[in-house]
Amino acid sequence: MADSLLSYIALAMILFSIGFLGIISRKNIFIVYMSIELMFNAVNLIFIALGRYNESMQPQVIALIIIAIAAAEAAVFLSLIVVLYRRKKSLNSDIFTVLSQKDAAHE
Amino acid sequence: MVDIVFLVLAFFAVGGGLGMILFAQPMYSAMSLIVCLIALGGVFALLSAPFLFMVQIILYAGAIVTLLLFIVMFLNIKKEDLPDEPNKIITIVAGAVLLIPFNIMILKAFSTFPEKSMYILGDGFGAINDFGIELFRGWLVPFELISMLLLAALVGAVVYARKEKPNG
Amino acid sequence: MSNFLLAFIVLVPFVSATILGIMYLYSIKISKVPNFVFTLFGLSAPIISFAVGFSFFLKMIVNDEIILYKAYRWLSVDAYDIDMGFMADQLSIFMVLFITFVGGLIHIYATGYMKDDEGYGKFFFYFNLFLGSMLLLVLADSPIIMFIGWEGVGVCSYFLISYYYEDSENVKAGNKAFIANRVGDLGFIIAMVTMFYYAGANGLDYINLEAGLVNLPIDLLTFIGLALFVGAIGKSAQIPLYVWLPDAMAGPTPVSALIHAATMVTAGVYMVARFHFLYDMIPNVGLFIAYIGAFSALFAAIIATKQTDIKKILAYSTMSQLGYMFIAVGLGAYSVGIFHVFTHAFFKALLFMGAGAVIVALHHEQNIFKMGGMKDKTPLVFYTMLIATLAITGIPPFAGFFSKDEILLTAFSSEHYLLWGIGVVTAILTAYYMFRMIFIVFFGQNYKKERTIHFVPNSMLMPLVVLAIGAVLAGFIGIPEVLGGHNLVGEWLSNWHLDSLHVTHKTEILLMGGNILAAFIGIFIAYKKFYMYDMKDVAEPQGIIWNKFYIDEIYDRFIIQRTKALSIFISYKIDVNIIDKIVMGLSNSFIKSGHFVARMQNANTRFYAFTMLLGISVISTYLIIVMR
Repeated sequence: MADSLLSYIALAMILFSIGFLGIISRKNIFIVYMSIELMFNAVNLIFIALGRYNESMQPQVIALIIIAIAAAEAAVFLSLIVVLYRRKKSLNSDIFTVLSQKDAAHE
Repeated sequence: MVDIVFLVLAFFAVGGGLGMILFAQPMYSAMSLIVCLIALGGVFALLSAPFLFMVQIILYAGAIVTLLLFIVMFLNIKKEDLPDEPNKIITIVAGAVLLIPFNIMILKAFSTFPEKSMYILGDGFGAINDFGIELFRGWLVPFELISMLLLAALVGAVVYARKEKPNG
Repeated sequence: MSNFLLAFIVLVPFVSATILGIMYLYSIKISKVPNFVFTLFGLSAPIISFAVGFSFFLKMIVNDEIILYKAYRWLSVDAYDIDMGFMADQLSIFMVLFITFVGGLIHIYATGYMKDDEGYGKFFFYFNLFLGSMLLLVLADSPIIMFIGWEGVGVCSYFLISYYYEDSENVKAGNKAFIANRVGDLGFIIAMVTMFYYAGANGLDYINLEAGLVNLPIDLLTFIGLALFVGAIGKSAQIPLYVWLPDAMAGPTPVSALIHAATMVTAGVYMVARFHFLYDMIPNVGLFIAYIGAFSALFAAIIATKQTDIKKILAYSTMSQLGYMFIAVGLGAYSVGIFHVFTHAFFKALLFMGAGAVIVALHHEQNIFKMGGMKDKTPLVFYTMLIATLAITGIPPFAGFFSKDEILLTAFSSEHYLLWGIGVVTAILTAYYMFRMIFIVFFGQNYKKERTIHFVPNSMLMPLVVLAIGAVLAGFIGIPEVLGGHNLVGEWLSNWHLDSLHVTHKTEILLMGGNILAAFIGIFIAYKKFYMYDMKDVAEPQGIIWNKFYIDEIYDRFIIQRTKALSIFISYKIDVNIIDKIVMGLSNSFIKSGHFVARMQNANTRFYAFTMLLGISVISTYLIIVMR
């Protein structure tokens, strides 16, 4: 089981799917963020699996870079959540619709 | 033996993921996420990437999720602040059904790869030496750019989170 | 090139009508045009057409030929070519002559009758348009061209009946005429199309159709003949499509004189005569035609005995005389029928014009029971109308005697004694109601002596005189041999003449005497009842006959109201409910689906992600299936 590429890929796909499901089904902004992070990790897993498969170090480097980017994104994302929470006092991702055409027309 | 390890780790990863999306409280979800991330780190180690195993634990589970928890507690979230989510289960089920073809497609693509052993390799692969060589030889420029990115993120976070000026 | 003059006969009235129309529009929009200009153009048309027609007539006497002229190819469809062609044979030239002559006289009359009317130019435009259409009808060389003229006279009849359009009753009468004609036209079209289909292989003019029809089975020929006759019923006001003719009297009197006495209504008779080659082969249909004519004649005569409007009496009289003509052509004696058309044109036009003069003189009074003693007030009108009445009742030597006598003779000698009997009874009734009218209008005592008489201009009186002379003389061209004359009409229309008379001369003389006796019986009864009629104590007219046997009401209830209900049903139930629902439903469904799609742009990021998932899923399924 641990010997075949396919099982690692399958695991990664399952995690990716779970993350995607989290995005579309949860309204709580924190959960959405965590789902995004889960999807990043799933992709990392695929990279590393393929790196082992092809016996190359490059995907591992890429994976490190992805982790670094995820860190930067975390900082910005979370500070945005703070700002938005201060504005709207709510954690519902659905109410942030200012940029949509419908609301722009009203304002 | 390795199989069993893999299975256990996979179980924890998937379980953590599911827990993350199913819990209503963000705190519990974050805990599940940590479980998942650590299990994933283990899987990385199984794939002859020990350095990344450690990076995952230190950075992801140790810094990113910690930051997340910090913000959750900073905002002082009570039960009433949480949004209503009535259609959670049905959307998950529908989404799962819709995702099946996608998964099947990817897996089918990958199943065409010729069989190769994925067991842990020995010296010369995955250790921090080799990692450093690879990083600073071929990937120097991205490395520097990453540092700039982190700087930008830092500045951005500070700017956003400032107290607002009271001029309305 | 000389044959082009044949088309000229038809062309001149149309051109004149166009000029008159333009001038009339000019006169109402820009500046007034004096009446005499309209008169000039209006009168020149019949005069020129008569002159050209007469010259052709002379030519045909000399050369004894048929003149054909094909102007141009009008339609060319598949194997059928239709030319705008004209044919002058003995029959059509005969019709042309009296149409233009009598028509011209009526034009002159109209200049006096309509002189104070504002739409004087418009009137002559319509009049000339009508004349052109009628001439086209008789000079056509193919049923299609004739149909153009047929429709043209129908349309002009509508225009002219509704001439006083401010009163909606007049417009309704015009509508009624047009619609009744239309019903007949349907029969004409069906017959025409059938003829073309089965017999039109070589061409669609009369000559080729005649050749093509000989080989067809009797059933088909019967069908065609009946359908054609339906057209004649509509145009010539026989039973059952006669209802428009009395209402058509709503138009000005010159219109009644020209259209509904002398020309348009005779188009049906002309058509049967023109298609003699068809009707010769189906004598059963001819018999049917004769019976319809006989019953129409009798029916109309009965109704006329109780009418009080002077023009309506004359209208029913026209229908009755048309019945006589159909008896003749139905029995195959086409020349006799056309002869009666000819004499009828003279005396009927005269009667209408005289009635118009009386009406004008009494300030537009039309009820005969409000007239009286006109003999002394308008003597010229009296004498001319007396001549015409004597002609219509069939008193020799006036015109109607010879033509009516020949019709009855034909009926008797072909052993259809019922037809003959109906004809004789109708003759008695004709004499009765015509002299009833004469006695009440001209001899009665019940008008107020102080009432002034409106002046009747010479332009109205002069044609009366000319026509009266014609009514006297016209009969003489058809004197039968038994009285020692040459039947000129019969010789001229020898193709249409029925030679097989099986009665002896003695019988002929006896029959003639019988007709005269019948006429005098009618006159005597009228004399007894009406000579010195004092209307002071007469009741309001009522009764079945007065109400025209309620035919109009029956038609209204059973046909018109049903058709109206059907069309309301279709328009509201079917159109609004079904068809509108389908069509509007279709467009509404598009709008609704547009709204539905618009709801997808709701700025809900999760929803967008879900939609992306949907798309990915679809594509993956597709790829899975394809890459199998």
